[in-house]
Amino acid sequence: MTDAPDDATGEGGATRASSSRRVRLVVAAVITLALVLVAGVAVGRLTSPSPVVPGDHSVEAGFSRDMQVHHEQAVEMSMIVRDRSDADDVRTIAYDIATAQAQQAGQMFAWLEVWGVPQAPSEPSMTWMTRPTLDGSYGDHSHGGATTGADGSATPAPSHVPGEPMPGLATAEQMTELRAADGVDAERLYLTLMIAHHRGGIEMAEAVVARSDDRQVDDFARGMIATQQSDIDAMQQMLAARG
Amino acid sequence: MASNDNKPSVKQQRDARRQEKVAALKKQQATARRNRRIGIVVASVAGAAAVALVVSFVVTSGQPRQDPDDVVVAGVQTWDDLTANHVTGTVDYEMTPPAGGDHAGVWMNCGVYTEQVPNENAVHDLEHGAIWFTYDPAQVTDDQIEAVTDLAPSTYSVVSPYEGMDSPMYVSAWGAQLAFDDPADPAVADFVTKYWKSTNAPEPGAACTGGVDGPGRVA
Repeated sequence: MTDAPDDATGEGGATRASSSRRVRLVVAAVITLALVLVAGVAVGRLTSPSPVVPGDHSVEAGFSRDMQVHHEQAVEMSMIVRDRSDADDVRTIAYDIATAQAQQAGQMFAWLEVWGVPQAPSEPSMTWMTRPTLDGSYGDHSHGGATTGADGSATPAPSHVPGEPMPGLATAEQMTELRAADGVDAERLYLTLMIAHHRGGIEMAEAVVARSDDRQVDDFARGMIATQQSDIDAMQQMLAARG
Repeated sequence: MASNDNKPSVKQQRDARRQEKVAALKKQQATARRNRRIGIVVASVAGAAAVALVVSFVVTSGQPRQDPDDVVVAGVQTWDDLTANHVTGTVDYEMTPPAGGDHAGVWMNCGVYTEQVPNENAVHDLEHGAIWFTYDPAQVTDDQIEAVTDLAPSTYSVVSPYEGMDSPMYVSAWGAQLAFDDPADPAVADFVTKYWKSTNAPEPGAACTGGVDGPGRVA
Protein backbone atom coordinates (compact mmCIF):
# COMPACT_ATOMS: atom_id res chain seq x y z
CA MET A 1 0.00 0.00 0.00
CA THR A 2 1.33 3.44 -0.91
CA ASP A 3 0.70 6.58 1.07
CA ALA A 4 -1.56 9.22 -0.43
CA PRO A 5 0.59 12.02 -1.92
CA ASP A 6 -0.06 14.69 0.69
CA ASP A 7 2.27 17.18 -1.03
CA ALA A 8 -0.40 17.63 -3.69
CA THR A 9 -3.66 16.96 -1.85
CA GLY A 10 -3.27 19.66 0.74
CA GLU A 11 -4.22 19.55 4.39
CA GLY A 12 -7.48 17.59 4.03
CA GLY A 13 -5.61 14.83 2.25
CA ALA A 14 -2.86 14.81 4.82
CA THR A 15 -5.36 14.32 7.63
CA ARG A 16 -7.12 11.57 5.75
CA ALA A 17 -3.79 9.89 5.00
CA SER A 18 -2.63 10.01 8.61
CA SER A 19 -5.97 8.76 9.92
CA SER A 20 -5.95 5.88 7.45
CA ARG A 21 -2.39 5.12 8.56
CA ARG A 22 -3.65 4.96 12.13
CA VAL A 23 -6.47 2.59 11.12
CA ARG A 24 -4.00 0.41 9.30
CA LEU A 25 -1.70 0.40 12.31
CA VAL A 26 -4.56 -0.68 14.58
CA VAL A 27 -5.67 -3.39 12.16
CA ALA A 28 -2.07 -4.61 11.84
CA ALA A 29 -1.71 -4.64 15.63
CA VAL A 30 -4.93 -6.63 16.04
CA ILE A 31 -3.91 -9.17 13.40
CA THR A 32 -0.43 -9.48 14.90
CA LEU A 33 -1.93 -10.01 18.34
CA ALA A 34 -4.34 -12.65 17.02
CA LEU A 35 -1.57 -14.47 15.16
CA VAL A 36 0.71 -14.38 18.20
CA LEU A 37 -2.19 -15.77 20.27
CA VAL A 38 -2.83 -18.58 17.77
CA ALA A 39 0.87 -19.38 17.56
CA GLY A 40 1.12 -19.33 21.35
CA VAL A 41 -1.87 -21.65 21.79
CA ALA A 42 -0.56 -23.97 19.09
CA VAL A 43 2.98 -24.09 20.47
CA GLY A 44 1.70 -24.48 24.01
CA ARG A 45 -0.63 -27.28 23.03
CA LEU A 46 1.92 -29.12 20.94
CA THR A 47 4.67 -28.93 23.53
CA SER A 48 2.54 -29.25 26.65
CA PRO A 49 3.27 -32.47 28.55
CA SER A 50 -0.29 -32.76 29.90
CA PRO A 51 -2.43 -34.89 27.59
CA VAL A 52 -5.67 -33.57 26.18
CA VAL A 53 -8.30 -35.94 27.59
CA PRO A 54 -11.70 -36.62 26.04
CA GLY A 55 -14.39 -34.13 27.03
CA ASP A 56 -18.01 -34.42 28.08
CA HIS A 57 -19.38 -34.61 24.51
CA SER A 58 -16.53 -36.67 23.03
CA VAL A 59 -17.15 -39.97 21.24
CA GLU A 60 -14.90 -41.59 23.85
CA ALA A 61 -17.11 -40.43 26.73
CA GLY A 62 -20.28 -41.35 24.81
CA PHE A 63 -18.92 -44.82 24.08
CA SER A 64 -17.79 -45.31 27.69
CA ARG A 65 -21.21 -44.41 29.04
CA ASP A 66 -23.30 -46.38 26.53
CA MET A 67 -21.05 -49.43 26.58
CA GLN A 68 -21.31 -49.61 30.38
CA VAL A 69 -25.10 -49.88 30.02
CA HIS A 70 -24.66 -52.42 27.22
CA HIS A 71 -22.21 -54.54 29.23
CA GLU A 72 -24.35 -54.40 32.38
CA GLN A 73 -27.17 -56.11 30.53
CA ALA A 74 -24.80 -58.83 29.29
CA VAL A 75 -23.72 -59.42 32.90
CA GLU A 76 -27.35 -59.64 34.00
CA MET A 77 -28.29 -62.08 31.20
CA SER A 78 -25.28 -64.27 31.97
CA MET A 79 -26.05 -64.38 35.69
CA ILE A 80 -29.67 -65.30 34.91
CA VAL A 81 -28.75 -68.22 32.65
CA ARG A 82 -26.31 -69.54 35.24
CA ASP A 83 -29.27 -69.76 37.61
CA ARG A 84 -31.56 -71.31 35.00
CA SER A 85 -29.31 -73.91 33.39
CA ASP A 86 -27.14 -76.89 34.40
CA ALA A 87 -25.27 -77.11 31.07
CA ASP A 88 -21.54 -76.70 31.61
CA ASP A 89 -20.77 -75.16 28.21
CA VAL A 90 -23.37 -72.39 28.52
CA ARG A 91 -22.66 -71.80 32.22
CA THR A 92 -18.94 -71.48 31.47
CA ILE A 93 -19.26 -68.99 28.64
CA ALA A 94 -21.81 -67.07 30.73
CA TYR A 95 -19.26 -66.92 33.57
CA ASP A 96 -16.63 -65.74 31.12
CA ILE A 97 -18.89 -63.04 29.66
CA ALA A 98 -20.19 -61.83 33.04
CA THR A 99 -16.79 -61.44 34.66
CA ALA A 100 -15.11 -60.01 31.55
CA GLN A 101 -17.82 -57.46 30.90
CA ALA A 102 -18.15 -56.45 34.56
CA GLN A 103 -14.42 -55.76 34.54
CA GLN A 104 -14.69 -53.81 31.28
CA ALA A 105 -17.61 -51.76 32.58
CA GLY A 106 -15.42 -50.82 35.55
CA GLN A 107 -12.64 -49.87 33.18
CA MET A 108 -14.92 -47.50 31.27
CA PHE A 109 -16.27 -46.14 34.55
CA ALA A 110 -12.71 -45.35 35.61
CA TRP A 111 -11.90 -43.60 32.32
CA LEU A 112 -14.76 -41.18 32.85
CA GLU A 113 -13.51 -40.54 36.39
CA VAL A 114 -9.96 -39.92 35.19
CA TRP A 115 -11.17 -37.70 32.35
CA GLY A 116 -13.09 -35.65 34.94
CA VAL A 117 -16.45 -35.94 33.16
CA PRO A 118 -19.75 -37.11 34.68
CA GLN A 119 -20.90 -40.70 34.46
CA ALA A 120 -24.31 -39.26 33.61
CA PRO A 121 -24.79 -38.68 29.89
CA SER A 122 -24.97 -35.10 28.71
CA GLU A 123 -26.90 -36.08 25.57
CA PRO A 124 -29.12 -38.97 24.45
CA SER A 125 -27.44 -42.37 24.17
CA MET A 126 -25.87 -43.17 20.78
CA THR A 127 -25.49 -39.51 19.85
CA TRP A 128 -21.75 -40.10 19.57
CA MET A 129 -22.40 -42.76 16.90
CA THR A 130 -24.00 -40.17 14.62
CA ARG A 131 -20.86 -38.02 14.65
CA PRO A 132 -18.53 -38.01 11.64
CA THR A 133 -15.84 -40.67 11.47
CA LEU A 134 -12.14 -39.81 11.53
CA ASP A 135 -11.97 -40.19 7.75
CA GLY A 136 -14.87 -37.76 7.43
CA SER A 137 -17.47 -40.26 6.24
CA TYR A 138 -20.62 -41.06 8.14
CA GLY A 139 -21.78 -44.44 9.49
CA ASP A 140 -19.81 -46.90 7.40
CA HIS A 141 -21.22 -49.62 9.64
CA SER A 142 -24.57 -50.97 8.58
CA HIS A 143 -26.97 -52.43 11.08
CA GLY A 144 -30.37 -54.07 11.04
CA GLY A 145 -32.60 -51.64 9.24
CA ALA A 146 -29.80 -50.03 7.27
CA THR A 147 -31.18 -49.64 3.79
CA THR A 148 -29.61 -50.35 0.47
CA GLY A 149 -30.58 -48.51 -2.68
CA ALA A 150 -32.00 -50.22 -5.78
CA ASP A 151 -28.56 -50.05 -7.38
CA GLY A 152 -27.02 -51.78 -4.39
CA SER A 153 -25.36 -48.67 -2.98
CA ALA A 154 -25.64 -48.05 0.72
CA THR A 155 -27.49 -44.94 1.79
CA PRO A 156 -25.15 -42.30 3.17
CA ALA A 157 -27.40 -41.37 6.10
CA PRO A 158 -26.21 -42.28 9.61
CA SER A 159 -27.80 -45.58 10.61
CA HIS A 160 -28.53 -44.54 14.19
CA VAL A 161 -30.83 -42.08 15.83
CA PRO A 162 -29.83 -40.54 19.17
CA GLY A 163 -31.96 -41.85 22.02
CA GLU A 164 -33.07 -45.05 20.25
CA PRO A 165 -32.17 -48.39 21.88
CA MET A 166 -28.57 -49.42 21.46
CA PRO A 167 -27.88 -52.17 18.90
CA GLY A 168 -28.23 -55.66 20.33
CA LEU A 169 -29.87 -54.75 23.62
CA ALA A 170 -32.53 -57.24 24.73
CA THR A 171 -35.95 -55.76 25.40
CA ALA A 172 -37.56 -55.83 28.83
CA GLU A 173 -39.93 -58.55 27.52
CA GLN A 174 -37.03 -60.71 26.34
CA MET A 175 -35.37 -60.34 29.74
CA THR A 176 -38.60 -61.39 31.48
CA GLU A 177 -38.84 -64.37 29.13
CA LEU A 178 -35.27 -65.39 29.95
CA ARG A 179 -35.89 -65.15 33.70
CA ALA A 180 -38.92 -67.43 33.30
CA ALA A 181 -37.23 -70.00 31.04
CA ASP A 182 -35.59 -73.21 32.23
CA GLY A 183 -33.00 -75.70 31.03
CA VAL A 184 -32.47 -75.99 27.29
CA ASP A 185 -35.10 -73.30 26.59
CA ALA A 186 -33.18 -70.85 28.75
CA GLU A 187 -29.91 -71.87 27.07
CA ARG A 188 -31.31 -71.40 23.57
CA LEU A 189 -32.83 -68.05 24.44
CA TYR A 190 -29.66 -66.89 26.18
CA LEU A 191 -27.46 -67.91 23.25
CA THR A 192 -29.78 -66.24 20.75
CA LEU A 193 -30.01 -63.02 22.75
CA MET A 194 -26.29 -62.93 23.55
CA ILE A 195 -25.25 -63.49 19.93
CA ALA A 196 -27.37 -60.47 18.96
CA HIS A 197 -26.04 -58.57 21.99
CA HIS A 198 -22.44 -59.24 21.02
CA ARG A 199 -23.11 -58.25 17.40
CA GLY A 200 -24.51 -54.94 18.61
CA GLY A 201 -21.52 -54.52 20.91
CA ILE A 202 -19.13 -55.14 18.02
CA GLU A 203 -20.99 -52.58 15.94
CA MET A 204 -20.59 -49.97 18.69
CA ALA A 205 -16.92 -50.89 19.16
CA GLU A 206 -16.34 -50.51 15.41
CA ALA A 207 -18.10 -47.15 15.55
CA VAL A 208 -15.71 -45.86 18.20
CA VAL A 209 -12.65 -47.24 16.38
CA ALA A 210 -13.79 -45.28 13.32
CA ARG A 211 -14.22 -42.11 15.37
CA SER A 212 -11.54 -42.03 18.04
CA ASP A 213 -7.78 -41.72 17.96
CA ASP A 214 -7.51 -42.30 21.71
CA ARG A 215 -5.06 -45.19 22.06
CA GLN A 216 -6.61 -46.75 25.17
CA VAL A 217 -10.16 -46.60 23.85
CA ASP A 218 -9.02 -47.88 20.48
CA ASP A 219 -7.13 -50.86 21.98
CA PHE A 220 -10.07 -51.63 24.24
CA ALA A 221 -12.58 -51.58 21.37
CA ARG A 222 -10.38 -53.73 19.13
CA GLY A 223 -10.01 -56.28 21.95
CA MET A 224 -13.76 -56.26 22.42
CA ILE A 225 -14.36 -56.89 18.73
CA ALA A 226 -11.95 -59.87 18.70
CA THR A 227 -13.22 -61.58 21.86
CA GLN A 228 -16.89 -61.03 21.18
CA GLN A 229 -16.50 -62.38 17.65
CA SER A 230 -14.89 -65.55 19.05
CA ASP A 231 -17.71 -65.75 21.66
CA ILE A 232 -20.25 -65.50 18.85
CA ASP A 233 -18.60 -68.42 16.99
CA ALA A 234 -18.62 -70.54 20.15
CA MET A 235 -22.24 -69.65 20.97
CA GLN A 236 -23.35 -70.45 17.43
CA GLN A 237 -21.89 -73.95 17.84
CA MET A 238 -23.67 -74.35 21.18
CA LEU A 239 -26.90 -73.17 19.62
CA ALA A 240 -26.48 -75.58 16.67
CA ALA A 241 -25.85 -78.45 19.10
CA ARG A 242 -29.26 -77.69 20.66
CA GLY A 243 -31.10 -78.03 17.36
CA MET B 1 -2.00 25.98 -5.41
CA ALA B 2 -3.92 28.73 -7.20
CA SER B 3 -1.73 30.88 -9.47
CA ASN B 4 -2.22 34.45 -10.80
CA ASP B 5 0.18 34.42 -13.72
CA ASN B 6 -0.81 36.84 -16.58
CA LYS B 7 1.43 35.66 -19.39
CA PRO B 8 -0.93 33.79 -21.77
CA SER B 9 1.58 31.47 -23.44
CA VAL B 10 3.14 30.51 -20.21
CA LYS B 11 -0.32 30.30 -18.70
CA GLN B 12 -1.39 27.88 -21.39
CA GLN B 13 1.67 25.82 -20.81
CA ARG B 14 1.02 25.88 -17.11
CA ASP B 15 -2.63 25.01 -17.70
CA ALA B 16 -1.57 22.07 -19.75
CA ARG B 17 0.92 21.01 -17.12
CA ARG B 18 -1.72 21.50 -14.49
CA GLN B 19 -4.16 19.34 -16.43
CA GLU B 20 -1.51 16.69 -16.62
CA LYS B 21 -0.74 17.06 -12.96
CA VAL B 22 -4.43 16.90 -12.05
CA ALA B 23 -4.89 13.83 -14.19
CA ALA B 24 -1.83 12.21 -12.67
CA LEU B 25 -3.02 13.18 -9.22
CA LYS B 26 -6.47 11.77 -9.84
CA LYS B 27 -4.91 8.57 -11.09
CA GLN B 28 -2.68 8.45 -8.04
CA GLN B 29 -5.65 9.08 -5.78
CA ALA B 30 -7.66 6.37 -7.50
CA THR B 31 -4.74 3.98 -7.07
CA ALA B 32 -4.44 4.92 -3.42
CA ARG B 33 -8.18 4.41 -2.94
CA ARG B 34 -8.01 1.03 -4.62
CA ASN B 35 -4.97 0.04 -2.60
CA ARG B 36 -6.71 1.15 0.57
CA ARG B 37 -9.78 -0.91 -0.36
CA ILE B 38 -7.60 -3.94 -1.14
CA GLY B 39 -5.77 -3.36 2.13
CA ILE B 40 -9.01 -3.28 4.09
CA VAL B 41 -10.31 -6.44 2.40
CA VAL B 42 -7.03 -8.28 2.95
CA ALA B 43 -6.88 -7.11 6.56
CA SER B 44 -10.50 -8.16 7.18
CA VAL B 45 -9.96 -11.58 5.64
CA ALA B 46 -6.74 -12.08 7.60
CA GLY B 47 -8.42 -10.91 10.79
CA ALA B 48 -11.41 -13.18 10.23
CA ALA B 49 -9.09 -16.09 9.49
CA ALA B 50 -7.15 -15.45 12.68
CA VAL B 51 -10.36 -15.30 14.71
CA ALA B 52 -11.62 -18.49 13.03
CA LEU B 53 -8.33 -20.22 13.87
CA VAL B 54 -8.57 -19.20 17.51
CA VAL B 55 -12.20 -20.32 17.68
CA SER B 56 -11.52 -23.66 16.02
CA PHE B 57 -8.60 -24.26 18.36
CA VAL B 58 -10.77 -23.58 21.37
CA VAL B 59 -13.66 -25.68 20.03
CA THR B 60 -11.70 -28.70 18.85
CA SER B 61 -9.06 -29.02 21.54
CA GLY B 62 -10.82 -27.71 24.60
CA GLN B 63 -13.90 -29.91 24.60
CA PRO B 64 -16.54 -28.80 27.07
CA ARG B 65 -15.75 -30.26 30.43
CA GLN B 66 -18.09 -30.57 33.35
CA ASP B 67 -16.24 -32.19 36.19
CA PRO B 68 -18.89 -33.58 38.55
CA ASP B 69 -16.71 -32.44 41.44
CA ASP B 70 -17.27 -28.85 40.30
CA VAL B 71 -21.05 -29.14 40.03
CA VAL B 72 -22.80 -27.29 42.83
CA VAL B 73 -26.33 -28.57 43.48
CA ALA B 74 -28.41 -25.76 44.96
CA GLY B 75 -30.20 -26.90 48.11
CA VAL B 76 -28.57 -30.34 48.41
CA GLN B 77 -28.22 -31.90 51.84
CA THR B 78 -25.31 -34.24 52.49
CA TRP B 79 -24.28 -36.72 55.18
CA ASP B 80 -20.81 -38.05 55.92
CA ASP B 81 -19.82 -41.14 57.87
CA LEU B 82 -22.91 -43.19 57.12
CA THR B 83 -22.64 -46.79 58.26
CA ALA B 84 -23.14 -49.51 55.63
CA ASN B 85 -23.78 -52.73 57.54
CA HIS B 86 -25.95 -55.53 56.23
CA VAL B 87 -28.80 -55.97 58.69
CA THR B 88 -32.05 -57.91 58.91
CA GLY B 89 -35.32 -56.26 59.79
CA THR B 90 -36.11 -52.59 59.59
CA VAL B 91 -33.68 -49.72 60.01
CA ASP B 92 -34.49 -46.40 61.64
CA TYR B 93 -33.00 -43.96 59.14
CA GLU B 94 -31.99 -40.45 60.16
CA MET B 95 -33.61 -38.86 57.08
CA THR B 96 -36.84 -39.43 55.15
CA PRO B 97 -36.61 -40.87 52.60
CA PRO B 98 -33.35 -42.60 53.53
CA ALA B 99 -30.18 -41.48 51.74
CA GLY B 100 -27.77 -44.15 52.92
CA GLY B 101 -26.99 -46.14 56.04
CA ASP B 102 -27.33 -49.77 57.12
CA HIS B 103 -29.36 -51.89 54.73
CA ALA B 104 -30.66 -55.32 53.76
CA GLY B 105 -28.25 -57.90 52.38
CA VAL B 106 -30.15 -58.10 49.11
CA TRP B 107 -30.52 -55.05 46.92
CA MET B 108 -33.62 -54.07 44.98
CA ASN B 109 -33.71 -54.26 41.22
CA CYS B 110 -33.44 -50.78 39.76
CA GLY B 111 -36.50 -49.63 37.86
CA VAL B 112 -39.80 -47.81 38.06
CA TYR B 113 -42.25 -48.81 40.78
CA THR B 114 -45.83 -47.71 41.39
CA GLU B 115 -45.89 -48.86 45.00
CA GLN B 116 -43.77 -47.91 47.97
CA VAL B 117 -40.63 -50.08 48.15
CA PRO B 118 -38.76 -51.30 51.24
CA ASN B 119 -36.23 -48.74 52.48
CA GLU B 120 -33.68 -51.36 53.44
CA ASN B 121 -33.46 -52.84 49.92
CA ALA B 122 -33.49 -49.47 48.16
CA VAL B 123 -30.67 -48.13 50.33
CA HIS B 124 -28.54 -51.04 49.15
CA ASP B 125 -29.03 -49.66 45.60
CA LEU B 126 -27.73 -46.28 46.75
CA GLU B 127 -24.61 -48.05 48.04
CA HIS B 128 -24.14 -49.38 44.49
CA GLY B 129 -24.26 -45.88 43.01
CA ALA B 130 -27.95 -45.70 42.09
CA ILE B 131 -30.11 -42.64 42.66
CA TRP B 132 -33.66 -42.87 44.00
CA PHE B 133 -36.49 -40.59 42.92
CA THR B 134 -39.39 -40.55 45.39
CA TYR B 135 -42.64 -38.63 45.12
CA ASP B 136 -45.42 -38.18 47.64
CA PRO B 137 -48.60 -39.31 45.84
CA ALA B 138 -50.67 -36.85 47.87
CA GLN B 139 -48.56 -33.89 46.73
CA VAL B 140 -47.89 -34.48 43.03
CA THR B 141 -49.77 -34.62 39.74
CA ASP B 142 -49.57 -37.44 37.19
CA ASP B 143 -47.62 -35.10 34.92
CA GLN B 144 -45.04 -34.57 37.64
CA ILE B 145 -44.70 -38.32 38.19
CA GLU B 146 -44.13 -38.72 34.46
CA ALA B 147 -41.59 -35.90 34.43
CA VAL B 148 -39.70 -37.45 37.34
CA THR B 149 -39.71 -40.84 35.61
CA ASP B 150 -38.28 -39.19 32.49
CA LEU B 151 -35.47 -37.66 34.57
CA ALA B 152 -34.35 -41.06 35.80
CA PRO B 153 -31.48 -42.64 33.82
CA SER B 154 -32.31 -46.03 32.26
CA THR B 155 -29.98 -47.86 34.64
CA TYR B 156 -28.93 -47.30 38.24
CA SER B 157 -32.06 -45.46 39.24
CA VAL B 158 -35.21 -46.23 41.19
CA VAL B 159 -38.47 -44.31 40.91
CA SER B 160 -41.15 -44.97 43.52
CA PRO B 161 -43.91 -43.32 45.54
CA TYR B 162 -43.18 -42.51 49.17
CA GLU B 163 -45.95 -41.38 51.50
CA GLY B 164 -45.63 -38.67 54.11
CA MET B 165 -42.58 -36.80 52.84
CA ASP B 166 -42.12 -33.14 53.81
CA SER B 167 -41.57 -32.21 50.14
CA PRO B 168 -43.52 -33.33 47.05
CA MET B 169 -40.44 -34.96 45.54
CA TYR B 170 -36.96 -36.04 46.57
CA VAL B 171 -33.99 -37.43 44.74
CA SER B 172 -31.49 -39.29 46.91
CA ALA B 173 -28.05 -40.79 46.45
CA TRP B 174 -25.70 -42.28 49.03
CA GLY B 175 -25.11 -39.44 51.49
CA ALA B 176 -26.86 -36.77 49.42
CA GLN B 177 -30.44 -35.68 48.97
CA LEU B 178 -32.42 -32.93 47.26
CA ALA B 179 -36.01 -31.91 47.98
CA PHE B 180 -37.85 -30.34 45.05
CA ASP B 181 -41.35 -29.41 43.96
CA ASP B 182 -40.64 -28.87 40.26
CA PRO B 183 -39.00 -31.62 38.17
CA ALA B 184 -37.75 -28.90 35.80
CA ASP B 185 -35.70 -27.30 38.58
CA PRO B 186 -32.13 -27.23 37.20
CA ALA B 187 -30.85 -28.39 40.59
CA VAL B 188 -32.43 -31.81 39.87
CA ALA B 189 -30.44 -32.23 36.65
CA ASP B 190 -27.33 -31.04 38.48
CA PHE B 191 -27.97 -33.68 41.14
CA VAL B 192 -28.13 -36.42 38.50
CA THR B 193 -24.91 -35.16 36.90
CA LYS B 194 -23.08 -35.07 40.22
CA TYR B 195 -24.40 -38.12 42.03
CA TRP B 196 -25.54 -40.75 39.51
CA LYS B 197 -23.02 -43.62 39.74
CA SER B 198 -20.91 -41.34 41.87
CA THR B 199 -17.71 -42.42 43.57
CA ASN B 200 -19.27 -40.86 46.70
CA ALA B 201 -21.16 -44.14 46.94
CA PRO B 202 -19.19 -46.97 48.54
CA GLU B 203 -19.61 -49.42 45.62
CA PRO B 204 -20.54 -47.65 42.38
CA GLY B 205 -21.09 -50.09 39.53
CA ALA B 206 -22.03 -53.05 41.72
CA ALA B 207 -25.19 -54.70 40.46
CA CYS B 208 -28.54 -52.99 40.37
CA THR B 209 -30.12 -56.08 38.79
CA GLY B 210 -30.33 -59.67 39.95
CA GLY B 211 -31.59 -58.66 43.40
CA VAL B 212 -35.25 -58.57 44.44
CA ASP B 213 -38.11 -56.80 42.78
CA GLY B 214 -40.08 -54.44 44.98
CA PRO B 215 -43.86 -54.34 44.71
CA GLY B 216 -45.48 -52.69 41.69
CA ARG B 217 -42.56 -52.77 39.29
CA VAL B 218 -43.55 -51.41 35.87
CA ALA B 219 -40.19 -50.85 34.16
